[in-house]
Amino acid sequence: MLTLIKIEWLKIKKYPAFWWMLGIVALTYPGVNSMFYYGYEKATNGKEMTNNIAKFLLGNPFSFPESWHSVAYFSSFFILLPSILVIMLVTNEYNFKTHRQNIIDGWSRQQYITSKLFDVLIVSLIVTLVYVLAAAGFGVYADSSSVSQWTAQLQYIPLFLLQTFAQLSIAFLLGYLVKKAFIALGIFLFYYLVVENIAVAYARFKLNDIGRFLPFEISDRIIPAPAFFSRFGKDAKASYDHALSLIPEHVIYTILLTTAIWLICYAVHKRRDL
Amino acid sequence: MQPVLSINGISKSYGSIKALKNVSFEVPEGSVFGILGPNGSGKTTMLSILLDILKADSGTFAWFGQPGSPETRKKIGSLLETPNFYHYLSAVDNLHITQAISGRGTDADIDHVLEIVKLAERKHSKFSAYSLGMKQRLAIAAALLGNPQVLVFDEPTNGLDPVGIAEIRELIRELAIRGKTIIMASHLLDEVEKVCTHLAILKKGTLLTAGQVDEVLSNEDIVEVSSGDPDHLKSVLNEFPGYSSIKQEGKNVRVFFPVGTAKLEEINRFCFEKGITLNLLSVKKKSLETKFFELTND
Repeated sequence: MLTLIKIEWLKIKKYPAFWWMLGIVALTYPGVNSMFYYGYEKATNGKEMTNNIAKFLLGNPFSFPESWHSVAYFSSFFILLPSILVIMLVTNEYNFKTHRQNIIDGWSRQQYITSKLFDVLIVSLIVTLVYVLAAAGFGVYADSSSVSQWTAQLQYIPLFLLQTFAQLSIAFLLGYLVKKAFIALGIFLFYYLVVENIAVAYARFKLNDIGRFLPFEISDRIIPAPAFFSRFGKDAKASYDHALSLIPEHVIYTILLTTAIWLICYAVHKRRDL
Repeated sequence: MQPVLSINGISKSYGSIKALKNVSFEVPEGSVFGILGPNGSGKTTMLSILLDILKADSGTFAWFGQPGSPETRKKIGSLLETPNFYHYLSAVDNLHITQAISGRGTDADIDHVLEIVKLAERKHSKFSAYSLGMKQRLAIAAALLGNPQVLVFDEPTNGLDPVGIAEIRELIRELAIRGKTIIMASHLLDEVEKVCTHLAILKKGTLLTAGQVDEVLSNEDIVEVSSGDPDHLKSVLNEFPGYSSIKQEGKNVRVFFPVGTAKLEEINRFCFEKGITLNLLSVKKKSLETKFFELTND
């Protein structure tokens, strides 16, 4: 196991796109959350009545412990950034034909897929680390008086890791099956940004919300919209509470889907001509 | 002695195209085994199956008496079809990956094999900056890493200049002298003839022949003779008993006999008795090229 990780690290550590993507993620996650944070500041920092109403309604989504939740939610919009990296990591192997060479040199086909699973896991852990640092930073910065509550809602860290790993696994499967980077990226972006969003929205109103079982939506639902969304009336509160109650169920669905994805990869790789 | 590789009835199809049809042969230890065939004859498909890149439809093979596995592949230095390396990594970094996966060689060995293939000066350049010939040399270096007992080379001189081709041929000879078993696919007959001890010839997926080079080539004796009047010589030799065919090529006449039956003294005496003085009388070995075209032409 450790040898596989070491070998993958030899491949990744000098891959320029890896560091570029890491840099972009490290800038984007705090950056996007800052935008929301300054929007919040602007809405609540005046002395007028509306500012006070806004503050009352929103609370402070960026103070502890709510920052774990809010930052996870806003950051998760940008899963497509590490997804591009994951797709590149798998399609590069086809492009360079190193997926063959690794086997020729003495890996089993199973070890090859395991090594790729570690790639996706490594990227997920790095992305999660960036999220944790950003969420902790906002927590401390937004309201120093609530720092003592930092341990509440820590469950969003493993939830964010699971969501990231699950969604990057979908990206991996696409790259693995399609083999060509640009085609895989095209399909991924079109499906992730357009098709699934429309399908989920449509299903929510017309098909008894069956869209929650679509590949990305399954794991999107393990980090629902932050708590302040629940403060805009009774319906919003009910819908927020419902979303929270569905988290455990969706954690199970996410684990099942992700396990299925990797089992498919192992099964296909065991049989197919390389 | 147990063969290094034994292949039993391997078949492989791509859709309706049969790439290999029930191919069987054995590679003895210490041999330089050439797999010959025109483009599309199934050479690379065969080697790909032996290295678990492709799955055979039927048939089995064994390396060192054991079914193919990651452990057997680790003992074999292989260059299959094209040099396959990470483009953004240097030669040294790429060989570190080969070393880590195969467990063959050390850091010092990496420098050593890069010196053998004359890439030491460019060892820190990225693979993407290499010429075709340099890429091929790196692939050979990767195969040599850790001094494996068995080497598989698929078209090893692809992309090399004439000097490079001669160097690789020399390298293969040296490896053979050191007792390595080398399995080499090629369509360059000259290359195979110069270095191989054994060969197998494939055509459209069918094994035409396999065995020691001498056995495969010498299924007949060719006697080349010449005199001042080759036309007359040919008409006289037509009366000579025991030959299987006779051909005139320019000033020379070639007489073909079943293997082991050509007797130069008798031919000389026969011609002399018929009043012809020969100015050339020799046994020619059939060139691999002749044999190859004979076998592979429809």
